[in-house]
Amino acid sequence: MAQRVTESEFTLDTAAELAAREEPAAIRGRSPWYLAWRRLRRNYVAFFFLALFLLVLAACALAPMYASHVAHTGPNTNHILETVKVNGKETPVVSPGGVINGKLVASIPIGPTWFSAGGRFVLGADQNGRDVAVRLLYGGRTSLFIGIVSSVICVFFAVILALVAAYYGGWSDFVITRFFDLFYAFPVILLGIALGSALAINGFHHFGIDIQSGSIWIPTLVISYVLIPYIGRPLRGQVLSLREKEFVEAAIAQGASPFRVMFVELLPNIASSVLVFFTLIIANNIILEAALSFLGAGVQPPTASWGTQIADGQELIVTRPWLSLAPGLAIVITVLSLNVFGDGLRDALDPRAKVKVEH
Amino acid sequence: MNRRNRWKWLVTAASFSVGVALVAAACGGGGGNKTTTTSGSTSTSSSAAGKSFALFRIATDTGTDYLDPGLSYTVEGWGVMWNVYLPLLGYKHVNGPDGATIVPYLAQSLPTVSSDGKTYTLTLRKGVKYSDGTAVKASDFKATIERDYKVDSPGVGFFGNIVGANEYSKTKTGSISGITANDSTGVITIKLTQPQGDFMNILATEFAAPLPASTPAKDQSTTPAPSTGPYMIQSYAPNKQIVEVRNPSFDASLYGGNVPAGNPDKVVWDVIGDDNVALQRVISGQDDWLGYHPIPPDRLSSVQAKYPNQIKLFTPANTYYFFMNTRVAPFNNLKVRQAVNYAIDRQALVRVYGGLAQPTEQVLPPTYPQYKKIDPYPYNLAKAKQLIAQAGVKGMAVTVWNHDRGLDPRATAYLTDVLNSIGLKATQKIVAAAVYWTTIGNQATKAQIGFADWFQDYPHPLDWFDVLLNGERITQTHNNNYANFDDASVNSQIDALKKEPTLTNAVNARWASVDKEVMAQAPWAPFLNRQFTDFFHSNVDLSCYVNHVLYEFDYSTICMK
Repeated sequence: MAQRVTESEFTLDTAAELAAREEPAAIRGRSPWYLAWRRLRRNYVAFFFLALFLLVLAACALAPMYASHVAHTGPNTNHILETVKVNGKETPVVSPGGVINGKLVASIPIGPTWFSAGGRFVLGADQNGRDVAVRLLYGGRTSLFIGIVSSVICVFFAVILALVAAYYGGWSDFVITRFFDLFYAFPVILLGIALGSALAINGFHHFGIDIQSGSIWIPTLVISYVLIPYIGRPLRGQVLSLREKEFVEAAIAQGASPFRVMFVELLPNIASSVLVFFTLIIANNIILEAALSFLGAGVQPPTASWGTQIADGQELIVTRPWLSLAPGLAIVITVLSLNVFGDGLRDALDPRAKVKVEH
Repeated sequence: MNRRNRWKWLVTAASFSVGVALVAAACGGGGGNKTTTTSGSTSTSSSAAGKSFALFRIATDTGTDYLDPGLSYTVEGWGVMWNVYLPLLGYKHVNGPDGATIVPYLAQSLPTVSSDGKTYTLTLRKGVKYSDGTAVKASDFKATIERDYKVDSPGVGFFGNIVGANEYSKTKTGSISGITANDSTGVITIKLTQPQGDFMNILATEFAAPLPASTPAKDQSTTPAPSTGPYMIQSYAPNKQIVEVRNPSFDASLYGGNVPAGNPDKVVWDVIGDDNVALQRVISGQDDWLGYHPIPPDRLSSVQAKYPNQIKLFTPANTYYFFMNTRVAPFNNLKVRQAVNYAIDRQALVRVYGGLAQPTEQVLPPTYPQYKKIDPYPYNLAKAKQLIAQAGVKGMAVTVWNHDRGLDPRATAYLTDVLNSIGLKATQKIVAAAVYWTTIGNQATKAQIGFADWFQDYPHPLDWFDVLLNGERITQTHNNNYANFDDASVNSQIDALKKEPTLTNAVNARWASVDKEVMAQAPWAPFLNRQFTDFFHSNVDLSCYVNHVLYEFDYSTICMK
């Protein structure tokens, strides 16, 4: 009888190990996904951060409800000359400035009220008297939308290009890898700024695609475009390796079409890497969106995003640090949760893999 | 001009035909004792004899474009060169409205103007030398104007009214026939195609400051040309440092007090990009003046509390406004333009700018003697909504334009919210500051509404109404009349007033009525006149402080404790 593995703290849960644990009569086939799930569900840290990410996602999804039922304002509504009752005392949303009693006084927006103003201005206001908490949640919708959608687009095209380049080889591979090299030659942030700034004036109106200049589709597409090589290139390497395996030769020998070989034989074998890449690149894209928006080449005002909020708050960093801290913390929490979960997913899907996004 | 971009209107001006801009008529003329704006209040003397000291350090911003008087067109560039390259005429180095008074610099006296207003005659002072010891010649002035054309100076638009200048601009060979100079007598004669009421102001610009005729027709910023003023530029490392030292050939006694001898022996401008870093350098004593940097709003209170006597508040002549393109719907409808004016709460915009501003509803800033306060559009949101409904444009899409620098994007964030609240469907379009003015100044853009500001090039109402609101000066590109405002009555009044050689009380009253008439048509929604601060290290003696109406802080007259 095979000895049961009981003491081991860590196991790769390989099929052989699992088989060894089971009674001989109970041996069943286990798919790689099942094995991965077994490994993942024991990683409580990854699950905690997944829950944290889902919490952020849910909070941002509920932004309209918070805005209308708690804060009673919209993300772009100015309340400059209004007052709000904080602990029963009327307080201006943006204080008057100028020469007051012979002294120069700057207009400063209200700081965090921490629910002492009936849910209004919980995190304070910006210089336009806009509710920072409301903008934080709406900004999160924007940043997460860009992060997730750009990742979907980026991974989709990266997978297609990697499969085509590695499967066909020759000129196809040459052209596609040179395309990757071309993009590698530019720092991502500079390329993003250049494209984002160029499209910010007139938008994009080519190939039947009509995107207005202020649309969040511009940073979404710019981010997905500039990062394609960073996913496509490592995936191409994996496909190149798989291309020489027997199961691929067998499929070709049986008359499978190139499309079938690429998408039915090869793609499932890189799916685990694709999934890990996808998780990690969402975090990466959220940071890139924030950087581009901070530099004015991403989301255009007055649309809130975490990057634009950090930029809006930098001039008041001494007296109203929450203007920048709040979106900064939101980015940290979101990116950290995605990265930790992504690492957990990678360990579960392929513990030996070294999948990471670098640029 | 925009605060950081004086050049933009001159580029436009260069493309104009003088004949379009002026109505042919002879007027005024006469004696040579004409000055520009009148002064109504006392001023602080700039005299600081015997108060010289070794070094004055400045933490300046990155706005210095060139240190070549033919090329620079920023507040920062002119701020440096005001005391380096002297024009034939200049302004008094004093505080307040008196600073707008034109006085002779390199010229012996103010020009003699012919009775038809078309010929200006000046005589060069005797004994004036460049910093390299060579004598200043009358022909240098002519060569300088011609050099402006050769280096594609942004200032050439100023000189288009000189006879032969337009022809010279095309060939850049030969000479400008309308300028004659006699080196033996020092007499300079300038013939104009039409009378021009602000021509003495133009002679007082840096573009008209004589350089040696041998000065190469290329940027001399890093190899500075010999100077005529109390200082010369010893070295210039762009975006790093400017070093000025005394001009050994300068003799203040020649100028009858019009040009100060200068107190610091040496002036060093440290170029610092960040407001907070610059402020810290001044607080710590590394620099003496926070040059052109604002005090960051959230540090104003603490700085005020610690250094109450080292801060000066001043209001340069400026107007911040939203233009409304009268050629494009819905702003081709007067009711919509008036609605926008009623809907804007200017007090709110003052707070958006940190409180250092005064609300306004008119074109001219209050520093002008022609300014007569009007209140045509008190805040009335209900009325604005009513006007929008009457105009039948409810729900119409509107794009609000702005650039991406400083506090200005906040203003259009407010405007966008306001436009949405009165029934329009507004979105913002923010473009890089580097291309913003040319973008909205291009008719192909059809910018509907957006942000603009204007800081005077020289203290004369023509610098506002003729440049910004004369329908005869609308151009296809590089247009400064962003509203495309073209009102026959206003145009004719501007043209008539342009011929007035002197700004008398009667003329000033006519300018005030133009201001009122323009605002009745509401091509703009002016919202504030911005105020700025000068901050100094505690070693600086501000009893000598001079903030000039055009050049702002005068470093030449400052004293140390």
